[in-house]
Amino acid sequence: MSTLPIWQFDVLLLILVVLFAVVALSIRNLMGAAVVFGAYSFMMCLIWAGMGAVDVAFTEAAVGAGVSTVFVVSTLYNTGATVQPRTGGLAFKLFIGVVVTIAGAFLLSALPDFPEWGASDSPVNAKVAPYYILNTIADSHVPNVVTSVLADYRGFDTLLETTVVFIACIAIYSILRVDKAKLEAGEPAAAPVPRYDPGDSLIVRQASRFMVPFMQLFALYVIAHGHYSPGGGFQGGVILGASLILLAISFDLKSLLRQWSEKTLMLLVAAGVFLYAAVGLACMFMGGNYLDYGFLDSILPGEQDMARSHGILLVEIGVGITVMFSMIAIHINLASNGRFDRGL
Amino acid sequence: MEKLIANFNYVIVVILMMIGLWSMLAQKNLIKKCIGMAIFQTGIILFFISIGAKDNALIPILTEAANHTYPVSDVSKVANPLTQILMLTAIVVGVATLGVALALAQKIYQQHSSFDEDEILENERK
Repeated sequence: MSTLPIWQFDVLLLILVVLFAVVALSIRNLMGAAVVFGAYSFMMCLIWAGMGAVDVAFTEAAVGAGVSTVFVVSTLYNTGATVQPRTGGLAFKLFIGVVVTIAGAFLLSALPDFPEWGASDSPVNAKVAPYYILNTIADSHVPNVVTSVLADYRGFDTLLETTVVFIACIAIYSILRVDKAKLEAGEPAAAPVPRYDPGDSLIVRQASRFMVPFMQLFALYVIAHGHYSPGGGFQGGVILGASLILLAISFDLKSLLRQWSEKTLMLLVAAGVFLYAAVGLACMFMGGNYLDYGFLDSILPGEQDMARSHGILLVEIGVGITVMFSMIAIHINLASNGRFDRGL
Repeated sequence: MEKLIANFNYVIVVILMMIGLWSMLAQKNLIKKCIGMAIFQTGIILFFISIGAKDNALIPILTEAANHTYPVSDVSKVANPLTQILMLTAIVVGVATLGVALALAQKIYQQHSSFDEDEILENERK
């Protein structure tokens, strides 16, 4: 049949994804829900890889299946509320179900107007995107089109997205961080004491001690090689952050905070955004527009096109620094309840 | 019906979004609400990736090994990079916002020692 979807394998995965979503929302063990949600993210990442979105799949594997699961687990660990009590209100749930079904039916009724799955002449694929594919090599010598669009053609977009991560980090600080002086003056009772200390396990400790250097080396490769292969500042930053989060989990928060004090973490989160913005300003001083790396050719090696390639690398490093340290800062806040003393 | 099969991924997008929305509205547990929010978000990301996918296309990395010539002769053989970068940044921003949501939930738990909406409201009324 000619009208069958092009990716049969994807159809199977899409059905699995819906199943995982339903399971993640219906089981009452919240720890289990977090883990199933991690599996859901991983299935999603397979689907995206199948559709040719390797960079997105890479990011989802590092972020969705990795770090966000850790965030949920550390929140649960901290509060001790790992099981959702059985609640009534079935009528309310059914009512919302009906409302949502009607909304979904309206959305589905627009379905026949959509271009077919995989049509290469749809408006999305035919208007602006071909420009990027055709000109990336001539403009900046970056074969990975995603990287050149991310940091060069749409650099403003990425600058502000990085700022959003920075702001989210500040927001979490202002929500959770507890003042030390207040803490000693007798703040409300501390969070329930964790029952299990993973730092006790010799196997976990030795395995993570062995793995962390390789993770960090790989992350640096991902950032540096993002021009030629899937990867870049976001993915590399998340992996670097995850390597230090692994250390914090397998040893304890104290040993992580001895290396990276709270102040250093916050300064570095800001430094990444600053590096990105400063590169843009430098372009202005050299006579170009904001974030127009081509004008950096007199201080960076190579001609104008290579200067753009190097400018992309600088910007990606800035993104990597911000993402890495904001992930660590968010984890520490969530895992220690803003006390920065002990936690998952 | 044929249209429905050919656009199967859009059906899944709608289903995922509605599951997420249902969870945000109907579930009483704050953590479940956060997970529902994340599922809603992945539904939207799946939508963007689907509209950027092309039949028989390669990944948007132009290499000699993949028999690409410079400049690329056939754009329809390379997947759309634009929708991909929009979603790449959205994922990272998504995890940051999930962190904020979890931080708020944790703060609420400190005050009311419960994640359940009804119990929290009851505590508030007292």
